Amino acid sequence: MLPSLVACSRSIWKGPYFVHFPNLRESIASGTPIKTMVRACTIMPHMIGARFMVHNGKEYLPVRITEEMVGRKLGEFAHTRKAFTYRLTKNR
Amino acid sequence: MLHLLGVNLPDQKVVSVALTYFYGIGPLTARKICSRLSFHKECKLSELTEGQLNQLSGVLSEMTIENDLKRKVAANVQHLRQIGTYVGKRHAMGLPVHGQRTRGNSVTAKKINGTMLRKYSTVADTAFARQALGLFQAPLSRHQN
Repeated sequence: MLPSLVACSRSIWKGPYFVHFPNLRESIASGTPIKTMVRACTIMPHMIGARFMVHNGKEYLPVRITEEMVGRKLGEFAHTRKAFTYRLTKNR
Repeated sequence: MLHLLGVNLPDQKVVSVALTYFYGIGPLTARKICSRLSFHKECKLSELTEGQLNQLSGVLSEMTIENDLKRKVAANVQHLRQIGTYVGKRHAMGLPVHGQRTRGNSVTAKKINGTMLRKYSTVADTAFARQALGLFQAPLSRHQN
């Protein structure tokens, strides 16, 4: 958890932004990933051990929540940019 | 030149300027330290008495500066890298972290980002080397016994 970071970016009275996942407890128990598009959701302590499929704008990427991730956002772990690789053109 | 906590400070400079020679102390922090120890604005480092210098080094030794701070920053970056965040990835790639464009040269990022990790990797190499050395030395020690 990064208290300073949270305090800097957002009013304290609001608390961290997070979304309620209704099937979180069952998914932690059964190990089935939750498919979500809420990248801005803050990772809370009760989510530890859960598996998410986080949308990166194109596809859903697997994210497994560990203790160290608490206080960060889901979107930080689903990268949106693809590194450029040069491919030789075939038709020549 | 005055040697304080492993840093050479210029004698002829104003104290608040001389303090910025430390990694982790900028103009603002330097001024704060000066006002805390009640050094006047134009006070040169050479004009300080022995007692004042002791006070100064006392204050500085309480702060995280120089190598402690560098280690702390490197550890923070390494932590970001390990948990797999976007910021950590950008650091590792030596690219800008805060969403700047990369169409240009991104010179500052190339200079700064990734160097910590490169250093870290050399540290890992030395650890490996020591381990290898230990492997080579193990039969010798047995022989001595």
